[in-house]
Amino acid sequence: MNGSALTQAPPIADSAERIALEATWTRGTGFLGWLTSTDHKEIGLRFIKTSFVFFALAGLLAAMMRWQLAFPENNFLGPDLYNQFFSTHGTAMMFLFAVPVMEGMGLYLVPLMVGTRNVSFPRLMNFGYYMFLFAGILLFGGLIANIGPDMGWFSYVPLAGPEYTPGKRADLWSQMISMVEIASLVGAVEIITTVFKQRAPGMSLNRIPLFVWAQVVTSFMVLFAMPVVMIASSMLTMDRLLNVNTHFFNQAEGGDALLWQHLFWFFAHPEVYIIFLPATGFISTIIPTFSRRPAYGSSAMVLSLIATAFIGFGVWVHHMFATPLPNIGQGMFTASSLLITIPTGMQIFCWLATLWGGRLDLKSPLFFALGFVAVFLIGGLTGVMLASVSIDLQVHDTFFVVAHLHYVLIGGSVFPLLGAVCYWFPKWAGRMPNEFAAKLSFWILFIGFNLTFFPMHQLGLKGMPRRIYTYLPESGWSSLNLLATIGAGILGLGLVIFFGNLWWSKKYGALAGPNPWRAGTLEWSTESPPPAFNFQNPPSVESQYPLWHDLPDTPVITGLGTEEREVLVTALMDATPDHRYSIPGESIWPFLLAVAASALLAGIILHPIAFPIGCVLCFIALFGWFWQGSSPHRPIKGTVAISTSPAVTT
Amino acid sequence: MNRRAAINVSSLPSIALDHRSPLWWGNLWLLVIESVVFAIMLASYFYIRLNYSAWPPPQVNRLPFIYDTNPALGIPTVNLIVILVIAAVSRWADRACFRLDQKVVNISLGLMMLLGAVTIALRFVEFRSTHFRWDDNAYASVVWTILGLHLMHLLIAALEALVLATWTFRKELDSKHARDVRLLAIYWYWIAGVWVILYGVVYFGPRLL
Repeated sequence: MNGSALTQAPPIADSAERIALEATWTRGTGFLGWLTSTDHKEIGLRFIKTSFVFFALAGLLAAMMRWQLAFPENNFLGPDLYNQFFSTHGTAMMFLFAVPVMEGMGLYLVPLMVGTRNVSFPRLMNFGYYMFLFAGILLFGGLIANIGPDMGWFSYVPLAGPEYTPGKRADLWSQMISMVEIASLVGAVEIITTVFKQRAPGMSLNRIPLFVWAQVVTSFMVLFAMPVVMIASSMLTMDRLLNVNTHFFNQAEGGDALLWQHLFWFFAHPEVYIIFLPATGFISTIIPTFSRRPAYGSSAMVLSLIATAFIGFGVWVHHMFATPLPNIGQGMFTASSLLITIPTGMQIFCWLATLWGGRLDLKSPLFFALGFVAVFLIGGLTGVMLASVSIDLQVHDTFFVVAHLHYVLIGGSVFPLLGAVCYWFPKWAGRMPNEFAAKLSFWILFIGFNLTFFPMHQLGLKGMPRRIYTYLPESGWSSLNLLATIGAGILGLGLVIFFGNLWWSKKYGALAGPNPWRAGTLEWSTESPPPAFNFQNPPSVESQYPLWHDLPDTPVITGLGTEEREVLVTALMDATPDHRYSIPGESIWPFLLAVAASALLAGIILHPIAFPIGCVLCFIALFGWFWQGSSPHRPIKGTVAISTSPAVTT
Repeated sequence: MNRRAAINVSSLPSIALDHRSPLWWGNLWLLVIESVVFAIMLASYFYIRLNYSAWPPPQVNRLPFIYDTNPALGIPTVNLIVILVIAAVSRWADRACFRLDQKVVNISLGLMMLLGAVTIALRFVEFRSTHFRWDDNAYASVVWTILGLHLMHLLIAALEALVLATWTFRKELDSKHARDVRLLAIYWYWIAGVWVILYGVVYFGPRLL
C-alpha cells in the first residue's frame, strides 16, 4: 500500500482543458436545468434522497401501527386504516425505498468506480427518476385520498380481486407497481451497460470493484424479476377493470388464484436479493477499507453473488408452503432454500477472514458493517428455520415471520446502507460526518432495532397473527408488544440522530479532501464532491485497488473531445480502449415521456380509454426525444491539444 | 507542466455500429426484458391449461355453441409469413447500414412500414380466429393478451420505422442513423423470432396438448 498513487499525481492537462470540460459538462441553470439534469451524480442523489423521504413516511406509518399495537384493545387506528397503513408501509418500503435507494447508490457510484464520466444513457436515467417519483406520489396521494391499498403488499387474489376489493384501492396498487418497476428496469439497463462498455482501460473482469459486481448481478436480477410483477399486476388490473374483465385469477372462469402467488413470488423472492446483494457490495467495500487490506476471496465473493442470483430465482415456493402444493415440490423448494444459505455463508466467511487478517480502523462505517453481520446472522438463522415446511406451517402468518423479514431486510439491507451513507457522504458532500454522533446513532439504532423486532419472534411463537389491528388483554401478548413499541421509539430516535448528523455535517463538518478514508477504489481519486465531468483525465488501472496498488505513473486517458460530452468505450472482457462515444445532454422530453407514461398507467385506474390516449402521448414524447437527439453524426476532431504529455497509444 | 504517461484516444473512431456500441447493449437488455414478459405469458398459458379438461374449452357463451374451438390456422399462418418477410427485409437493411447505402435503407424502411401495416391489420383478424372474446374465460384472456402484447411490439416497430424514415427520407444517411436502423432491424428479428414460438404455442399448442 504505497499511498494513493492517483490522487497524488498532479493533473497533466492545463486549466484550459478543465474550463472547456466544465463548459461542456455543466448542466443548464434554473428550474429547467434542474428538471432535465442528466448528471448521474445529481440523479443518483435525487434517487437516494427521495427514497429516504418515502422511508420516513413509511416509517411514520409503522410508528403509528406500533402505537396501535402497544396496548390491547387500543383504538388509535381502526381496522380499515390499519389495513391501509400496513399495506402502504410494506409497498413503500419495498418498492419506493429499498429498491430505488440501491439503484441511486449504483447510479451515483458505478460510473465513478469504473472511471468514466457518466452513465451510458443519461436521458433514460432522468426519465426513470420521474417514473419513480410519480409512482411514490400516486401511492401516498392515494393513501391521503383514502384509496390506499389495504390488501397487503403482495395483494393476494381473490382478496385483491374485483369481488372482495371493489373500488380503486387495488388498481392504484397494481398500476403504481408498473410505474416504479419501469424506473428499476431502466436503472438496471444503465448500470449493466455502463459497466460492460465504459470501464477504465485495464479494468478487466477480475479488477472490477466488488460493489460494482454486486450492482451488475443485481441489475441482471432486476431484468428477469421486475417484468414478472409488471405482467402480473397488469393481469390483476385487467381482471378488475369493469370494461375489461379478464379472468386470469377468476377461479369460476378457469383462472387460478394460485397463479397470482406463483407470479408474485417468482418476482418477490428475487426482490429480496435485489435489495440484499447491493448491501453485500457495501460491506465488501467498507470492510476492506477499514481492515486496510484487499478483500479476502474476491473471486469467491463474485461467484457467491452470481450463485445467489441464480438460486434466488428457484426458491419462491417457500412463500407458499401453506397452499396445497405437492409434497415433492415442497421438498424441492425446502432444499433450494437451504442451498441458498451456502453462497451467502461463503461471503460472510470471506468478510470475517478479511477482518481477521487486517488492521482494524474502527470508524463509524465499520460499526454498521459489523452490526450488519450480527443482525443478519440472526435473520439468516430464522430463515433456515422457515425453509422447513413443518416449522413454516406452524408459524405461518404470525409475528415470527414479521421478525424474520425485518431482521433480514433491516439487518441485511438498512444497516449496510446506513454504513454506506456514512462511508460515501464525504464524497457527496465534501465534508466528514461527525464520528461521535454516527457511532452514537449506530448504538441507539442497534439497541432499538433488537428491542423492536426480537420480541416479535416470541410473539409469533405465542400465536400472535400478522395483520391484526388489535388483540385481547387475555391473549398474553401485551407486555412484549409494549416492549416492541418502546424499541420502535428508540429506533426512531437513532434515525433522527443519524440524519441530524448528516444535516449538520453537510454545513459544519470537517473538509474531507479526495480520499478521507484512504480507500483503494477509483471514486476516491477525484475531488469531493466530484466535478460534473468526474475525472479531468479519466484513469486507467492495473489492479483491483488502484489507489493502493497502482504505480504513480499509471497512464491516464487524454484526447477525449471537450466540445461534446465524450466518454471512452472499452471492450467487454479486458477493457481495452475501443472507441469514443458522445453522450447526449439535457432534454425536456424524458420528463414529458414520464408524464405521459404516468398519465397512461394512472389513468387506467379511472377508465381503460386512458390506454390508447396515453399511448399516443407517449409516442409524441418519444418522437420529440428522437428528434432532439437526431443531429447528424460528424467525426469530432476538436480535442484540446496537450503537447507536453507523451502519447502512449495502445 | 508535469509530464505523465497517457493513453491518447483521440485517433480512435467516434462511433461503432455493432456490439461495441453501448446502444447495441441497451437494445439487447430491452429485448431481454421483453423476452421475460413473453416467457411469463407462456408460463401462465400452461398453468391455466391445468384447470381445463378440454383445451381450448367449448364456446358456450353465445349461440350457437362451438365445440371445436381450435383457433383457425389460415390467416395466422399468412401473417406469420408476412412477419418472416419483414425479418428478411430487416436483414437487407441491416447489411446496407454498414455500407451507408441510403437507397436500400430507404426502401427497406418503406417496406417495414407497409408490411408492418399489413401484419397489424391481419392481427386484428387473428383475434377473431380464437372464437372467443377476451372476457369469455381464462383461456381467452391469456390468448388475447399474448396476441395483444405481440401486437404492441408490431405497432412499436412499425412506428419506429416511420420515425427513422422521417430522417433518412429527407437527409443524408450518417453512421449514427445507420446504427439506429440496425437496432430497429435487430428489434424486428426478435419480434419475428418470438412470434415463431408464440405462434407455435397459440395455434398448435391446443392441437397437441
